[in-house]
Amino acid sequence: MKKILLTSLLTLALTLIICVPPAYVAEKSPYKIGVNLEFTGPWAEVTKTVKNAMVMEVERINAMGGIDGHPIDLIFEDNGFDLGRAAANMTKFTRNKEIIAVVGPFEDNLQATTRAIAEREKVTNIIVCPSNPMVRALKQKWAFNVAQSDIIVSQKLVDLSLARNYKKVLVFPAAIPLAKSLAEYYKNFGEEKGIKVIISQETHKPTDIDMTPHLTKLKPIIEKEKVNAFYACTTGPTGAILCKNIRALGIKIPILGTHAFGFGFVPALGGEAMEGVEFGAGKPVVPDQLDQDDPVRPVITEFDKRMKARYGMGLDQLAGHAHDTIWLIYDALKRCKGKVTRASFRDALENTKGLLNCHGIYNYSPTDHDGLSKKDMVFIRIEGGKFKRVRFPSFE
Amino acid sequence: MSPWTHIPQLLSTGITLGAIYALVGLGFVTIARASQIINFTQGEFVMLGGVITFFLHKGVNLPYPLAVLIAILSVVIIGFLIQLLVIYPLRKASLPILLIATLGASIFLSNTSALFFGTLPKSLPPFSSREPLQIGEVLISPQSLWVLGATFLLLIILYFLSHRTLLGKAMEASSTDPLGADLSGISRNLMLFLAFGVSAGMGAIAGIFVTPILYTSYNSGTLLGLKGFVAAVLGGWGKNSGAILGGFAFGIIESLSVAFIPSGYKDAVAFVILLLILYFRPKGILGSPFIDSRRW
Repeated sequence: MKKILLTSLLTLALTLIICVPPAYVAEKSPYKIGVNLEFTGPWAEVTKTVKNAMVMEVERINAMGGIDGHPIDLIFEDNGFDLGRAAANMTKFTRNKEIIAVVGPFEDNLQATTRAIAEREKVTNIIVCPSNPMVRALKQKWAFNVAQSDIIVSQKLVDLSLARNYKKVLVFPAAIPLAKSLAEYYKNFGEEKGIKVIISQETHKPTDIDMTPHLTKLKPIIEKEKVNAFYACTTGPTGAILCKNIRALGIKIPILGTHAFGFGFVPALGGEAMEGVEFGAGKPVVPDQLDQDDPVRPVITEFDKRMKARYGMGLDQLAGHAHDTIWLIYDALKRCKGKVTRASFRDALENTKGLLNCHGIYNYSPTDHDGLSKKDMVFIRIEGGKFKRVRFPSFE
Repeated sequence: MSPWTHIPQLLSTGITLGAIYALVGLGFVTIARASQIINFTQGEFVMLGGVITFFLHKGVNLPYPLAVLIAILSVVIIGFLIQLLVIYPLRKASLPILLIATLGASIFLSNTSALFFGTLPKSLPPFSSREPLQIGEVLISPQSLWVLGATFLLLIILYFLSHRTLLGKAMEASSTDPLGADLSGISRNLMLFLAFGVSAGMGAIAGIFVTPILYTSYNSGTLLGLKGFVAAVLGGWGKNSGAILGGFAFGIIESLSVAFIPSGYKDAVAFVILLLILYFRPKGILGSPFIDSRRW
């Protein structure tokens, strides 16, 4: 309660200072958005970036006069990486009738819960992290994803494999829903294009600290089948260990990764073992290497500059997601006709068409709550511990 | 392909992991022998060793060896502080209370580390080259040899400390016969204080040597601590030799099981074998001085 008070007081104070003319604040009530994220626990550092980016963008919107004079007001709640608290926060937000939509949480099982609550309580739930493929089949009405879905990530990776002319790829998936569905989609799309995809019967857990035993079993398969590339279908930190283990076993074939490899700390973890690893990821991974005529280039460059000026660090994929979330909300609020309600906001968000944002161009529809397409991703290669964009003209 | 062909390679992995488990288990045993306390901060010592070295090397830009040295010293000091601030004030309390206290201290340490050093995983560069060495069919990463070397060196030092020095003998005495030790004028609190320093130092070294192979983050100590504890129980709770044997056995079982069954069941297999061994030998492989044999 104290936190809410403090945050709202702070936001109010800030809007008072920034808003020109200040009369708006006095006249029009703010649109309140709940943010339910893992501010403590393993994701603490990452969610801090998300929060920073959100606060910065909201202040910017409010300084420009908000939405017809209504400022946006973010209310942050920490769910501490805990399912119970995530659900409690979500319920609390839904009970507060002033809250129009809820952003977060991050972790797969946490968002599955809040999505269910959102559906029951009829409030929009915007999910920042890659969507949980298990719940997409449910065709939820109130949940929206801002990140690249497993489908387009897999399509992009198939393109990468085609461009590199890989004929046979071995997939080593983690035993989590997202990785499993990435592996399945990669196999489906890949075999349509004539790539032979072998999904390993061995799986690993994201908590495994050493995967040499698993890889020892896979090594003879790689040699016997003459596999062209190894797809480390897993989370970022686990991917780093995996690359080390692969190279320590003397396996020299190219490694493909997931979009989760696109965080600055991942190449640092893997060191030399990650040199040459390739994957598809969102454009904010390489803000300075975009095409001149890329429509999202100005959005990314501007945002990158603001992040550097205010927080001393450039943008990454998550800061990009945070930026996109806020501007999606702004855009939908602008298009709401009459009084903004939870229902009218949802309908407006679902009608988002061609919105230029950091991660690409968003198009939502009643059948597509994922928004982005394959064109919004780029091919990345890790070189010298940094992300380098690689271009394949026929597959861009 | 026959699963037997993988055995040598899996064995080499198992021995590396086993060395780490043995070091962590030995830390548990050192404190248990001095006071019978099960010290659950042991895993955090391992984590802090890696995290502090990372901070000093990458954050403060100290040379690698200096960073390692300072990190070990600071973890030893943290070990001393845990004894002074957590165990000593509770010295008259019963063992379960002390156990809970160490659990609390471990949560405190891991969260303090998250606050100071952040929650993202961290890795250190390997001590020497990255190119794996090939011995016959088996590939071994040089860092694994470092881990093994450090483990054996520590074991030898520990052996001489406990069998050849007055201090070590005093520590030994206070664990085998507390009353006798009291009567001979050995301060058992001082011995426990020193035991905390020794086991913190061992934990830190294990953490630093293993971070280049795995990675470390503020919550990675719990799992390593648990496995080290399991290793110590498996070998025979309260015996140095038990912790070492248990550590290597646990690491090798965990790694070899992968050759015969899908790796998803790796943890389950290791724990099922642990249960089986304890079912037939409740005192662990080498027997435990703390568990009364008449009960079975």
